[in-house]
Amino acid sequence: MNNNDNKVLTEAVFYTLLALYSPLHGYGIMLETEKMSHGRLKLSAGTLYGAISTMLEKAWIKALPSEEDSRRKEYQITDLGKRVVVAELARLEELVENGKKIIE
Amino acid sequence: MKKTVRKIFFIWEYEKEEQWLNEKSKEGWQLAKASFRKYQFESGIPNEYTYRLELLDKNPKSKESTSYLNFLQETGIEMVGECKQWVYLRCKTAEGSFEPSNRALYELTHLLKIQEFISKIKNRLVAVIAISICGLLIMDNLAPSNYADFIRGVCTGLGLSASFFTLAFTPFSKHINEKVKAAINELYTCE
Repeated sequence: MNNNDNKVLTEAVFYTLLALYSPLHGYGIMLETEKMSHGRLKLSAGTLYGAISTMLEKAWIKALPSEEDSRRKEYQITDLGKRVVVAELARLEELVENGKKIIE
Repeated sequence: MKKTVRKIFFIWEYEKEEQWLNEKSKEGWQLAKASFRKYQFESGIPNEYTYRLELLDKNPKSKESTSYLNFLQETGIEMVGECKQWVYLRCKTAEGSFEPSNRALYELTHLLKIQEFISKIKNRLVAVIAISICGLLIMDNLAPSNYADFIRGVCTGLGLSASFFTLAFTPFSKHINEKVKAAINELYTCE
């Protein structure tokens, strides 16, 4: 994951990756993200569509083979995606830690 | 109740057009179908829907666009009309899913598509101007005849209208460029 090391994920991407630890379709991701953030983060369909296409390209998530209804694609996080989440979490922890250290 | 309104908006008036549709919605007229300069409204609840004009990368019938539009539909955004690559989208105002969390990025994506669209049109216009000038030059060197006069007239007409549209696009592309800069500035501080 060399070239992902210094990447900062957007909030939308971070939450989408978390939501995709279990398979979900597009609208499911939007609902799950809103639920996780207690209604704070509302993804727009346009943003999410762009994020999903980019993450598919980077192989952070994969599209699951769809059944009879091919319109509704389901997605799931890949191992690479999980590593990206772990790295991002470490970065976020550093932010929180330093913030607390100075403020408290 | 239904009503049909015929009205022309140029491409550079897309924001005005969007505003107009949203004002109509507030008055209780919901756009049900749209095509080039023809708008069909149905009376409904005031402000029930919010409208948005979006430029797609490809024709709305193409595979890529269909997959995008299906995705939007799943989230409650429906397409009520199309005009070339432009689509008329609407969603229930109460659900408000047009309002993106990452506004600057969303804006930027759309603005870049519009810029691409403008430069494509401008290239074509410039080609028309160049051909008209060549036509005029050739006709000038031919012996005068009705035929040559006719071609000269056509070339002048084409050249002038192409020049008019090229000029008309200039303030629009300037406006879009300024919006791109504003969106980038926002990206510096906020995601």
